[in-house]
Amino acid sequence: MPAIPGKITAPNYGNIPHSHRLPVTHREVVRAFGKLSRTSLITLAQQWLQKKNRDFCKPYLLGDQDKNAEEEDDAPYEPAESYEELQEIYKELLSRKGGRREVMDRILEGDWRTGISMYQLATAEIQHLLDHPQALRWTAKRMAKIPNNRVVKDMEVTNDSEHLPRFQAQTFMTNLAKELSPLMKAHYLITKLKTLPITILRVYIHDSPYSSEASLATDSNSSDGAKAVFFIWPNGSPYIYVSLATHLGQVVGDEGRHLRDVVLQAIPKAFSRPSSRYQLTPTNFTARSLSALLAYRGPGKSNAAAGGWSIFADHSFSQNALDFVATGKLSEAKGTSVDAVAQKAGPGRPKRHIDATETQEVKRRKAVAAGRFGSSGKANDGQGIERFEVRIDDPFPPQSNSTQQQQDATGASAETSRGKRKGRPSLLDRSAEDIQEIEELDNAWVPDVRVTFSGSHVFAGVRELVEQGVVDGEQMPGWMTGEAGVTIGAIKNGRIRSKGAVPGV
Amino acid sequence: MFDQEKKEAYLQNLRDMVAAAEKERDNLAAILLSTPHLSTRLQKGPVANEHLRETAMNLLKRQSKRNVENIYRTCAGVTAYKVRDPDPNAVDNGNILGVRIEVFLEGKFVDKYHVLFNRPNPRHKSMLRVHHHTIPPCIPLQALAAKWMPQSQRDSSSRTGQDLVRFGRKLRKELTLWHIRKAAVDKLRVAAGLPSSTEQTKSSATEQSTYGKVLNAFTSDDETDPEDHDDDDDDVVSNERSRVVNITDIGADLAAQEIFITWSNNQIGAVVLNKDGQVKEGAFRSSDGVRLKEMERKAVGSLEGLLQRLSE
Repeated sequence: MPAIPGKITAPNYGNIPHSHRLPVTHREVVRAFGKLSRTSLITLAQQWLQKKNRDFCKPYLLGDQDKNAEEEDDAPYEPAESYEELQEIYKELLSRKGGRREVMDRILEGDWRTGISMYQLATAEIQHLLDHPQALRWTAKRMAKIPNNRVVKDMEVTNDSEHLPRFQAQTFMTNLAKELSPLMKAHYLITKLKTLPITILRVYIHDSPYSSEASLATDSNSSDGAKAVFFIWPNGSPYIYVSLATHLGQVVGDEGRHLRDVVLQAIPKAFSRPSSRYQLTPTNFTARSLSALLAYRGPGKSNAAAGGWSIFADHSFSQNALDFVATGKLSEAKGTSVDAVAQKAGPGRPKRHIDATETQEVKRRKAVAAGRFGSSGKANDGQGIERFEVRIDDPFPPQSNSTQQQQDATGASAETSRGKRKGRPSLLDRSAEDIQEIEELDNAWVPDVRVTFSGSHVFAGVRELVEQGVVDGEQMPGWMTGEAGVTIGAIKNGRIRSKGAVPGV
Repeated sequence: MFDQEKKEAYLQNLRDMVAAAEKERDNLAAILLSTPHLSTRLQKGPVANEHLRETAMNLLKRQSKRNVENIYRTCAGVTAYKVRDPDPNAVDNGNILGVRIEVFLEGKFVDKYHVLFNRPNPRHKSMLRVHHHTIPPCIPLQALAAKWMPQSQRDSSSRTGQDLVRFGRKLRKELTLWHIRKAAVDKLRVAAGLPSSTEQTKSSATEQSTYGKVLNAFTSDDETDPEDHDDDDDDVVSNERSRVVNITDIGADLAAQEIFITWSNNQIGAVVLNKDGQVKEGAFRSSDGVRLKEMERKAVGSLEGLLQRLSE
């Protein structure tokens, strides 16, 4: 670590403050800003210029120039005189059309040429996340209370019992920083969103004992790992979504994963209070889309009512108790109005003829699909899951007099599971108890069969296959509708095994 | 282009009118079909076409079924029904017992929740287990199920008592209290002159300037604290000029058990509620971080009078 003359650089226990700046040529800065759209950039700049944020986002103003005027001759942008002038400039930029490059250059080479603060970098990355809600891959975890033997009334529901971990941002941040600062230096930004019921925490990991500006600017290691981790708390639920802030095409190295795990381990500790300790438990759910996460592991009604059970979560199963009208064709009326809206959206598009030639069979298949999927599995609902993996633990359907074949195959499957699989063990690998359970089955051949569905919206795809008649909608097992609400699981007796007592809590 | 828009508006108007007329027709039909003794009159009276009589009888049956269902749901609040699990591999041939809980608040049925039970154990046919449900996670469903719908650990003999009625009652109480608390927080906002939470979400969706509120804008940065205070002082000065310290924000968590209040002089407070809406305890701080013990003492009591008690 090169020491900067005139500045003392010493390891300390502090966090990285919001106002520390990175040079505009820093890899992270270039990446974060290169991804943002023009409007987002302008909105961000306006946000930074707001009175309450000015301390963390000092722009380069005319007043700063005087000290070293000779350097600035070739600067492409005239520094503004005041915050108000800058605000006007960005307002003007917003009102007219132009390229995003123009705004980005103005920010990086003009108004913030002296550096982008950690606060700015963090807000820029969060803005990108909100602009592209599918940009990252999230894993949902659950905060579970570690059962306390001394306090017997732990689970009792009383007038003033609370079963969700209490989330108080300031206390949590202090505790988290206490846990992490001996291990690494980090910058934290925690934001409560207005548009979605979530709170985002971004942790920028700086793997160094120093928290000075100079040490931030130097790339301490050559590896190109992700430097930030995102955590999301959906308000009013025990879940937490975790993701590494990777850039497009960036490989997550072991180092990045390790740093994420360090932060992850500190989180339940930061939540815990004396006599109520928490731990993170997996929920077997990974998805890219935030709205899918909010639907399957969110604060609402849909957590334990996925797939065909979605009719219970929206109001299509039972009407309002005071709605006595039974004769109207309510569902049909709704359908046509949706169609009308869709057509209105694209007036240039030729009107789609709802084919009158729809045969009885097609209608029947559609009805079956509607029965199995309810209101879920629609291609445009934004709740797509990209990957759904299952392992089938049911014995292979027995065939007559083919024992020889069976034995051969068993040997082969054992070999593949031992020899071929390299690298990290998959979550789907059979555990010791699973294997024992399988061995207890007499004379059954249970090959290690894994099925992976992948696509932009897996269950919408399955629904379409049912509607097209490729998949038999009536014989299809329930897990193919997504009703188990997991993206990875093991199947026994044709059903996804559920270990928890009550789903979706 | 303008013509196109005009046409669209005209068509939309027509569509609205059709929809309204259809609604009116359905309503009238429901009233007609609910007329007493209609079925006997239909059966006895002469009709030209036997097929039409059949259709009318079917409609009548549907209507009377709906009427009975609604009356039960309206009066009981918790009702049970049977559905089938379409999964061919479902336990117990897919027999599902559904429990529907209505939440009634201020003259309206505001929402309904479902808990669906199956019978996973073929030996104990009366043993129910929560299969799916639509209860939000801020309601302690798991704890209630563990208490009132326990699963027998051993296979036989130890028949743990399941009490579906008590379970439904307790769950309904939790859900209703939750809705009442949410409504009370909304009322508190209106009383403080703030838009109610539904209006607020509407306005914030259109407002684009910031995407959210940074919660640790001061905790990790000591250097800027003095300047922060400068800002605060400005605010205080301007407020002293107008002599009004008002509430700028009231927020609550999703379970509506914690309420956060912000005043225009940067004084902040948080109170914790019991489930039945009593303020259990509170913490208040002035802008320079001093605990306001007097306010904390005054906050305890019912939620409705909270603002009055604090402003006294």
